[in-house]
Amino acid sequence: MNEDKNKLIVRKIENGTVIDRIPPGKALRILEVLGIDANYPYTVALAIRVLSKKMSLKDVVKIKGKELTENEVHKLSFIAPGASVNIIQNFEVQRKIQLEIPDHVEEFIKCLNPNCVSNSHEPITSSFDIISKKPLILRCIYCDRVMEDKYLSGKL
Amino acid sequence: MNLEHLFTIRRMSKNLMEDIFDLASSIEEKPDSFAEKCKGKILAALFFEPSTRTRLSFESAMLRLGGQILGFSSAKVSSSSKGESIADTFRMLNHYAHIAVIRHYIEGIGEIAKEFATIPMISGGTGTQEHPTQALLDLYTIRKELGKVDDITIGIMGDLLYGRTIPSLLFGLAKYDNVKVHLISPPALHIRKNVKLRLEENGLAFRVTENHKEVIDELDVLYVTRLQKERFPDPTDYERLKGAYQIRKSDLRKAKDSMIILHPLPRVSEIPFELDELKYAKYFDQAKNGVWVRMALILKYLGVD
Ligand SMILES: [Zn+2]
Repeated sequence: MNEDKNKLIVRKIENGTVIDRIPPGKALRILEVLGIDANYPYTVALAIRVLSKKMSLKDVVKIKGKELTENEVHKLSFIAPGASVNIIQNFEVQRKIQLEIPDHVEEFIKCLNPNCVSNSHEPITSSFDIISKKPLILRCIYCDRVMEDKYLSGKL
Repeated sequence: MNLEHLFTIRRMSKNLMEDIFDLASSIEEKPDSFAEKCKGKILAALFFEPSTRTRLSFESAMLRLGGQILGFSSAKVSSSSKGESIADTFRMLNHYAHIAVIRHYIEGIGEIAKEFATIPMISGGTGTQEHPTQALLDLYTIRKELGKVDDITIGIMGDLLYGRTIPSLLFGLAKYDNVKVHLISPPALHIRKNVKLRLEENGLAFRVTENHKEVIDELDVLYVTRLQKERFPDPTDYERLKGAYQIRKSDLRKAKDSMIILHPLPRVSEIPFELDELKYAKYFDQAKNGVWVRMALILKYLGVD
């Protein structure tokens, strides 16, 4: 039953990305982060709150013609930890990435401290240790300030 | 020994701290025998934010060691106002001096030093982040006056949010055993979340209160800092709190005989002049200790025996 339901929505794609086992309700946010909107020229399939094989709810996103950058994978890992990213080429899964909040991230987010050296004109990039994954807490390796879930949710 | 830079007390071991204190105490005993130790060495003092005390204390320390000093104070005369990066400033400094002291309003520059400085660099205060040499002279003073830092109870009072000395002092205290801390401040000026997390990671026990009178009988050290008027959006809040965060003679009636009062100075009204002649008052000795501790730091970081 459930298998059939999924098949209705998600036909196989030739080239692109399939993001599966997304925590329910996060699919739209993922598209937003990836910059995919109504103007995206290729097929995008979106399933929100479908039953997984394990009988729990999940979201699924299939994006034709899209390959994720390293930076995008990082960002998605914060929004949808536990999801899996499948890079598809010629209808085959080329690469499978398990989204997991890393222990350390660089560059993709700015430190909230305006006086932090990573926000001034220096030959360095922002850099954070993740000191807690639930609740999410990032610590700047430069100024030591921490950024918490409620602040981060608007930034990621 | 190869010490790199000093921007945070967190990375300093208790052993090294105790080594520095031992050396500072030998210097204090016989300063003259150290008068030639840094002959031919240059200390650069770069103060991108104005400072009197810390800069003079460092300069005095280097001169007493027979070394020379160069530098500037306030960002207006430096090339940072022309947009030079801190990394470039550090690279240039490598050729001008053997050791440098830097005060800067930008935080996290210790990491820049790690990457770009080949001479040892010591923070003379970094934004609101840390002021490690102040904390070292505070701890030295406690050790000297009480004979130990382990097993003490300390009340730290005033502006715990913007005072850069506070995180350094707390990180330093966290290295010692069985230290109990009372944080005494208005809720709006309580320690920052990152500092709190570091203390939890390091197992330093602290309690929070708004009134020093409630805890004064327990204290071995009362560490007072000033509330800064410019930190209060509403000046009436400042006026109201100023009185509550002032130590009065009568507050000391319940204090232990051996309790000491410290203050990083400058003070405003939080410690009235009438307290100066009391046995508790150690803040001027504390300032004097700054020179011995900074002399010890210069020797250690230059690797001079
Ligand atoms: Zn930062």
